[in-house]
Amino acid sequence: MKKKVVSMLLASCMILGALTGCGGGSSEGKSGGKSGDGGVKEFTAFFSVPGSEINDDNEIQQIIAEKTGVKVKETWLTGQTAEEAIGTLIAGGEYPDFVDAGDGSIQMYEAGALVALDDYIDKYPNIKEFFTDQEWDSLRQSDGKIYWIPQFSNIYGEERTCTHNDEAFWIQARVLEWANYPQIHTMDQYFDLIEKYAKENPTMEDGTPVIPYTILCDDWRYFCLENAPQFLDGYPNDGSVIVDVDNKKIVDYNTTDTAVKYFKKLNEEYKKGIVDPESFTQTYDEYIAKLSTGRVLGMIDQWWDFAYTAEDALKSAGLDAKGCQYVPLPITIEEGMSNQWHNSGGIVHTSSGLAITTSCKDVEGALQFVDDLLSQEIHDLRFWGVKDVDYQVGDDGMYKKTPEMRSNDADTAYKASHKCEYSYFPQWSGTSRDNKNAMKPEGQEQEFYDGLSDSLKKCFMAYGVETYVEMLGTTPAPGPWYPMYTYSQTMTTATPGGTAWNLMDECKHMYLPKVVMADDFDAGWAEYMNAYNACKPEDFLAEMQTELDRRISEAAKYSN
Amino acid sequence: MAKNVTEKKVITEKKSNNLKRQGVLYFWSALFVAYGIIFCYIPLVGWIMAFQEYKPNTGLLGSKFVGMAKFTRLFSDPMFIRVIRNTLAMGVLNLVTTFTMAIVFAILLNEITHSKSKKVVQTISYLPHFLSWIIVTAILHDALSSTGIVNELLLKFGIVKQAINFFAHEEYFWPIVAFANVWKETGWNAIIYLAAITAIDPSLYEAAAIDGAGRWDKIKYVTLPGIKPTIIILLIMNIGNVLNAGFEIQYILGNGLIQQVSQTIDIYVLKWGISQMDYSLGTAAGIFKSAVSIVLIVICNQVAKKHGEERLY
Amino acid sequence: MSKEITPKKRKASTGDIIFHICNGIFMVLFVVITLYPVLNTLAISLNDGLDALRGGIYLIPRKFSIKNYTTVLQKDNLMIGAYVTVARTLIGTALSLVANAILAFVVSRKNFAYAKQLSLFWVITMYVNGGMIPIFLLYKSLHLTNSFLVYVIPGMISAFNMLVIRTYMKGIPDSLEESAQLDGAGYTKIFIDIISPLCKPVYATVALFVAVYQWNSWFDAMLYNRQKSNLTTLQYELMKLLSSVTNQSSSAEAMKNSSSAITPTSIRAAASIITMLPIICIYPFLQQYFVSGLTLGGVKE
Repeated sequence: MKKKVVSMLLASCMILGALTGCGGGSSEGKSGGKSGDGGVKEFTAFFSVPGSEINDDNEIQQIIAEKTGVKVKETWLTGQTAEEAIGTLIAGGEYPDFVDAGDGSIQMYEAGALVALDDYIDKYPNIKEFFTDQEWDSLRQSDGKIYWIPQFSNIYGEERTCTHNDEAFWIQARVLEWANYPQIHTMDQYFDLIEKYAKENPTMEDGTPVIPYTILCDDWRYFCLENAPQFLDGYPNDGSVIVDVDNKKIVDYNTTDTAVKYFKKLNEEYKKGIVDPESFTQTYDEYIAKLSTGRVLGMIDQWWDFAYTAEDALKSAGLDAKGCQYVPLPITIEEGMSNQWHNSGGIVHTSSGLAITTSCKDVEGALQFVDDLLSQEIHDLRFWGVKDVDYQVGDDGMYKKTPEMRSNDADTAYKASHKCEYSYFPQWSGTSRDNKNAMKPEGQEQEFYDGLSDSLKKCFMAYGVETYVEMLGTTPAPGPWYPMYTYSQTMTTATPGGTAWNLMDECKHMYLPKVVMADDFDAGWAEYMNAYNACKPEDFLAEMQTELDRRISEAAKYSN
Repeated sequence: MAKNVTEKKVITEKKSNNLKRQGVLYFWSALFVAYGIIFCYIPLVGWIMAFQEYKPNTGLLGSKFVGMAKFTRLFSDPMFIRVIRNTLAMGVLNLVTTFTMAIVFAILLNEITHSKSKKVVQTISYLPHFLSWIIVTAILHDALSSTGIVNELLLKFGIVKQAINFFAHEEYFWPIVAFANVWKETGWNAIIYLAAITAIDPSLYEAAAIDGAGRWDKIKYVTLPGIKPTIIILLIMNIGNVLNAGFEIQYILGNGLIQQVSQTIDIYVLKWGISQMDYSLGTAAGIFKSAVSIVLIVICNQVAKKHGEERLY
Repeated sequence: MSKEITPKKRKASTGDIIFHICNGIFMVLFVVITLYPVLNTLAISLNDGLDALRGGIYLIPRKFSIKNYTTVLQKDNLMIGAYVTVARTLIGTALSLVANAILAFVVSRKNFAYAKQLSLFWVITMYVNGGMIPIFLLYKSLHLTNSFLVYVIPGMISAFNMLVIRTYMKGIPDSLEESAQLDGAGYTKIFIDIISPLCKPVYATVALFVAVYQWNSWFDAMLYNRQKSNLTTLQYELMKLLSSVTNQSSSAEAMKNSSSAITPTSIRAAASIITMLPIICIYPFLQQYFVSGLTLGGVKE
């Protein structure tokens, strides 16, 4: 027995020796565009956001590799915060070839980890075309050079949007149908309708009670409670402040009369039992679960936050036929105001983007790949997929999908093995270079409309529209400063304004639910305002004003 | 006289013998100390970050020194004082509940005479340990929701008239966290005690039985003393860990309404340190936690020493 | 219940019977409460993904599907990850057990002059931590990054496990060592032939702890071997599935462009069950060491 133990220990030590030997020996790195099998260059990329990895033998990735001679192994943020990930990356001094460091981009630049792109851009027509000179200039860092390429919201040709990807008051199509599609423009009308409907139809078919209105409040997702006052006043999603267009001044939307009215309304509805009493304690999963059962009549949220989960679940449960899908409403605080829930035009998110690091041994190859990704053929492969597998081409040259192709699009396993969007590389939205199709399927009007359920079609028809965006109407961005959140996002406690911003956030997290649940609204509001003012919001607003002025004067340089 | 001399001789012989015999012990000690210095003590160089405005691009050597600024900042922030209170409260509550539950469970399990059911119960008991906090807290959140099983039972038995929104009230949060810990870790923590119980000489039980000891007496006079060294060692180690009351569970279960009691030191560090690209603040908080831990275990160790109990060092 | 009670003595007292009944009830309750989350997870993992989003699944799947499992198991590097994980679990456990046992043996020798200092040296390591960045730099300079060694070398000694073994060893009567010494046995022989065989229950416990730690580790794979897909671990691959929900500080902007990355609850559940299975299978083999007590009879005075 004793011998057995000893010999086992010895044996395991020997295995160790053997295995570590081979483990150490095989530690050859394959970074920097080394040629792999078949002459395909392999690059690595790290994105400091969570994302889904695609399989190594992904079909479209293979096709792209054959056409461009390049394959990129993408890794995403896992179990760390972006700041930690970037911190260790810089400390280690070894980088992947491509990186999107998010808010850490500046740090990567300061650490000398990024390659300046200025000398290269002109050589690659598709990259050069991606931005106007003014936009390229807005990306220059303190040394006057360009280091990263923002990937998103860049529109080629005519803008094509069908879904309203952003925030809105949503309501189930069946509620509108029940009231014979009334015009709903104010919060009072909105809640009035919900109240009436809930009174007449207190339960679902299976007997579970409906939830008239719920508010998602989980962690950073509490924008569903917090930022409505800016929209209600007819301003767009600047995110952290309102910009008064007339006198170019920063306004704090947390303290406006509209904010008071909005929260007072929520408070009243809470007392009436219209607002879900679990609003402020539910988790995101629970919220999605509620939406997925079709019980929730209305809420404020951003489309992407529930569309790919709750909307899909509603469809799979057949609740789309019963009108449980959500439609956005153009709501403002007073009747007759114009709203900016939806803005047209792209946003250059200057604070971060795709960059190439100094560890990359083949910068030209890497940029050539980015250039290729922006060519129409590869772009179609990325977002539309393979012809006749993921989409069909009609006689008129328009791309369309069969119902089966649409259901494949929602299948996680299929996506991992087949689709390869290179989703954090630069990409276009808008109209394709063929002047017919949209760059991405979600912009293809006919395809979008064909994919709608009958109840939504009926609803849209009643309002004389064809897309979600038309439900709200659209206006261009108000000015060159838009959106201000690209600045507030980068603020840290290193400045008084950043400190105030974080304190305000903490304060609102705690007091806004209390205000909505307060027995005495006015007292609750006064208490909140006390705590809020103690956070020194004026510091934050002053820094925002400075940035606003800077952006306006920056833009003025190009106006003549 | 002669006898004395021989005795002395024997002793000195024994000593030199000892040194020679103990050569192997010294060899291993040296090896382990070298290993420990490399892997556990050298990284402590990183502690100088707490006295700097650390930036990854300038590194440990090039970052600006700010003295005690980070510590001053921490201890002048009422929010930090509050998270210390929360962390301590949850740490102590978790320690008391999980610790006693594990011991009670181990002893009771040991009392099961039917060996098959004993094995089954034990296998089941440690399963929750392998579920991640995300999953456990999701289930717990569900069970405590207004339509969850807990409220349903409370309503059915007429204990409450209206469903309780457990996560909206500050007073429920600490007990919920403690319960979650007990739920997830009791079976797992009991493994150590079960192993310790196996070391108890069965003849002691027989002797106790002959003396007419009942079941409780046997537990009290044989089992408990038998596992006492293990209990004390684990207790001291865990007391040193009270400030590590956790991050994930509080982060997931907490919400704005109860953030005053739900936030721990680790959450504070994430929000006010790491998320602000301030790597130094976290290091300062870490040093504070280490200092508290070491003070606590030194005290406990002294107490144990005084009472002649097993101790850490 | 009463059938299970087979009293050893011919006559069980009423007190004993009451005790057994109460204990039985307690255990049944305990099992029900602890088993519930596991069964719930299992049920969700066997339910259709979109349907599971609606919640309300308790013990029985509402819309049965094994698709979640095929989705998880189809993941590309899963097999490589499984292989690496098995390797690190076996090697890491063996190495760690040997190292901790030797160290515990050294510090539990009563006449070893530096036992106390050595204990303290290791106790401190439990409560101090240099932080992620210095440790990363250290491993890098030791060439432990991008290598398998980083899985088994740095965490080899854990003060906690060492102290658990030490406590157990201290419970072994000194007389055994003394008599062996008189027979001329050195410390090596005492360790291997006298002490270790008696420590099987605690070795099994520590082996389990280390094995579970190794099995569940993913952070080191992510931090030190991110770029080496042939050194990925099973848990890291699964963590990537969970990452979108565990990510602590996110923002609307970051999520907007990667919104499709949210992993459905049912897939998370399937991943958890897959993780649990092997450990459940190993456990009964280790269990024999600490469920039914070893007979040390005659050893203790």
